[in-house]
Amino acid sequence: MRRWLGLVLLVLVVPLALARVSLPREETVYVAGALWGPATTWNLYAPQSTWGTDHFLYVPPFIYDLGKDAWLPFLAESYEFVNDKTIRIKIREQAKWSDGMPITADDFVYTFTLTKKLGIGPGTGWDDYIEYVKAVDKKVVEFKAREDNLNYFQFLSYALGTDPMPKHVYERLEAQKINIKDWVNDNPKEQVVSGPYKLFYYDPNIVVYERIDNWWGKDIFGLPRPKYIAHVIYKDNPSASLAVEQGNVDWAGLFIPSVWELWEKKKLPIGTWYKQEPYFLPDGVGFVYVNNTKPGLDSPVVRKAIAYAIPYEEMLKKAYFGYGSQAHPSMVIDLFEPNKQYIDYELAGKVWGTKDGRIPTDLKMAEKILEDAGYKKGRDGIRVAPDGTRLGPYTISVPYGWTDWMMMCEMIAKNLREIGIDVKTEFPDFSVWADRMTKGTFDIIISWSVGPGFDHPFNVYRFVLDKRLTRPVGEVTWAGNWQRYENDEVVKLLDTAVSTLDPEVRKKAYFRIQEIVYRDMPSIPAFYTAHWYEYSEQYWINWPSERNPHWFRPSPWHANTLPTLFIISQKKNPQPVPKWVETTDKGGLLIPTSKIFNDLQKAAKK
Amino acid sequence: MASKQMLRYLFRRFLFLFVTYVVATTVVFLLPRVIPGNPLSQLLSNLSMVAQANPEAIRAAERALMEEFGLGKPWYVQYVEFISKALRGDLGTSITFYPRKVLDLIVPVLPWTLVLLLPATLVAWILGNTLGAQAAYRRNTWVDKGVLTTSLVVSQIPYYWLGMIFIFLFGVRLKLLPTQGAYSQGVIPSLTFSFFVDVLRHYILPFLSIVVSAMGGWAIGMRLMVIYELGSDYVLFSETLGVSDKRIFKYVFRNSLLPQITGLALSLGSILGGALITEIVFNYPGTGYLLFRALTTLDYPMIQGIFVILIASVYLANFLVDFIYAVIDPRIRIGQEA
Repeated sequence: MRRWLGLVLLVLVVPLALARVSLPREETVYVAGALWGPATTWNLYAPQSTWGTDHFLYVPPFIYDLGKDAWLPFLAESYEFVNDKTIRIKIREQAKWSDGMPITADDFVYTFTLTKKLGIGPGTGWDDYIEYVKAVDKKVVEFKAREDNLNYFQFLSYALGTDPMPKHVYERLEAQKINIKDWVNDNPKEQVVSGPYKLFYYDPNIVVYERIDNWWGKDIFGLPRPKYIAHVIYKDNPSASLAVEQGNVDWAGLFIPSVWELWEKKKLPIGTWYKQEPYFLPDGVGFVYVNNTKPGLDSPVVRKAIAYAIPYEEMLKKAYFGYGSQAHPSMVIDLFEPNKQYIDYELAGKVWGTKDGRIPTDLKMAEKILEDAGYKKGRDGIRVAPDGTRLGPYTISVPYGWTDWMMMCEMIAKNLREIGIDVKTEFPDFSVWADRMTKGTFDIIISWSVGPGFDHPFNVYRFVLDKRLTRPVGEVTWAGNWQRYENDEVVKLLDTAVSTLDPEVRKKAYFRIQEIVYRDMPSIPAFYTAHWYEYSEQYWINWPSERNPHWFRPSPWHANTLPTLFIISQKKNPQPVPKWVETTDKGGLLIPTSKIFNDLQKAAKK
Repeated sequence: MASKQMLRYLFRRFLFLFVTYVVATTVVFLLPRVIPGNPLSQLLSNLSMVAQANPEAIRAAERALMEEFGLGKPWYVQYVEFISKALRGDLGTSITFYPRKVLDLIVPVLPWTLVLLLPATLVAWILGNTLGAQAAYRRNTWVDKGVLTTSLVVSQIPYYWLGMIFIFLFGVRLKLLPTQGAYSQGVIPSLTFSFFVDVLRHYILPFLSIVVSAMGGWAIGMRLMVIYELGSDYVLFSETLGVSDKRIFKYVFRNSLLPQITGLALSLGSILGGALITEIVFNYPGTGYLLFRALTTLDYPMIQGIFVILIASVYLANFLVDFIYAVIDPRIRIGQEA
């Protein structure tokens, strides 16, 4: 009872205690599309944190940029390979926590140790790939890769990309016997951060961050341009989109139907990455997953027929507003130049009979494949396998409310019925749909996989094809391989790709995987999903875009977006784009991934 | 004698409410668990989409969460834990908004819901009943026709549609009132006069949309009730006795109000469920949206938490009505005795 009374009192008193402040419009970047419910926690030792926590509050040693395939040394000054399995990272002398304490190697060691202890936190799962993390001296931390599970991609991504946490803060919590996962770190006065922002204010309507004007990195990077970043918590997509249109949002990561009308018809100062189709950068590979364990669908012939029957172009145009293009069947995102080397275009062209090897929509071809393999149409127009298995009834499903994907399902189902596969659409609630997906009890679904990154296409091959990520049908796995594909050769090839330093060997492994994929067609890479990103030039200019291509993950919800805020300028006070966003050969700070691997190779020869 | 009867009546009601409350909370506990689906889906899918570095890490997180929420335990163990914690005022931790406590999520939005819905419901009830009674009393005049037709039309307009029309008309076209939020963007709440005015301006449209759409229903109900009463024996008797019209109307109004009070109690009790559509259309903070998110993501502790409070308030309202009935209508006390 007393507890309840206290709460009621709290509700009455809290508004009294607040001083009236109004955020200055021209110094604030208003955000939409990265937060859809009440704020949760600003503590990274949790399965999720409030938007902004690992974007602006805590920063990693290196931040990866996709477009240049290079790394920005942020908290770190440099790296050095002791040998081909050990890296040392030198933390910047200036790097300090917001309470003035220096950021040290001890903070790194502590962070990784605590993550292992709690099972979750910055660098979750690091100990699968890293043998130890140790402090060499105050500012140098050493990581050693595990020899028994050598994976250079994971090794580098943990070592270069994990946010350290302030040891002195967490030690105090541990001493006070506070359950670390329950600690929400929501007191702006007590927040100790490494990034250039900290929490300013939050309530059920808004979360506001404020720039730290004496941030340790200002002499190296300058300060991010906005004084405040404010995310209004919208309840659904239409109300957020309306706010964009009304000029109340400067920076958004939203799916907006017919986005081009905003500037073409309504003449608003709003833009996306490209002025023309596809308007957005790619963000990942959207798959049509076909359950490899369902009778009928377990045959590669049927899956290949499905691949030919998907109306790629039409559905992307009609359901997706042209925001993404058809994916390459190799699963590689070939819209980024550096990725093209990983595709065996010759093979793809030969198998699929098109110039760049993309699968054509060809219902006749689909029927022919089935016909040739002895799938005869019954009197109801549905095909029956030579062993008597009827192709259907199956369902193709996505969560209710995902309107663009729902429409794609309808179009795919229509074509599949045409070639004699009995498929109906089904749109259950997300949690129900996700349960079927992760338990492997679905028939056909559209779902996500992973996106571009320095470990692409390894990441997508592993996510989709690695049988070690799977569990038997009926048991939940979020890790990947939802269609339950099993192939030991692929597993071996994946291990080869990550444990070699020879680019040719790696490439060969990828090429072989492509051969297997075209033969078995475990699931169908259908389209590249869009990196939702819209900006308004009413108050802020210089947003990264095709014409200003300084940062390639510019969406507010992306974990690597922070440099975006150093690139933009107040409209009334334009400032140059900082030099450091360039690669080292152009006078900037960014270190190409290829150089890192070269250094590794050199270290191996030592 | 009368007070003893009264006490016995109230005690019986209380016992009945207590038993049904236990049953209701049990149902609330069991129902979401019967729905096929996994409450961890939302959390883990976020991880799956973000934690691209290491898919195995998701598995570790899943294990940690299963343990955290005790989801691996048999349902009856979970049930006992839920009840014993709830009795101590601990409604648990939300899964979708982990690691926030359910109470910590409900409390900040509760004032907004109460401040919007309590006055709106009462105003709609008072206006609706007055209009309905007037219409019945002046049956077949232009008043009656006017009230009846508008009520019929308005009560059939979907909530959200009315809200959207208001937004379009007053917000987008006339630009008189703000279209969304509880206060202006960028303003930080404070106890100042200008903030109060700001909140008020944002309050008008959602308030009106609820009042207008709820009023019609009350008016129609009241009109029928009064018409029915007007035909009853005591009215005829009073008329032949020459009692004044005004006085007869008062009798009739009072008698017709009884069932309307029950209706009011129910809608007041369920206020905590929030007006989901109004909240979404006007982007207004409140409990409705929380409940909606909890239900769609199968956030067991959150669903339980909201319903425990919701059911309690419905029952409390019911109990109060029973009490009021017993005070104002002796037939009920006596009827219970028989």
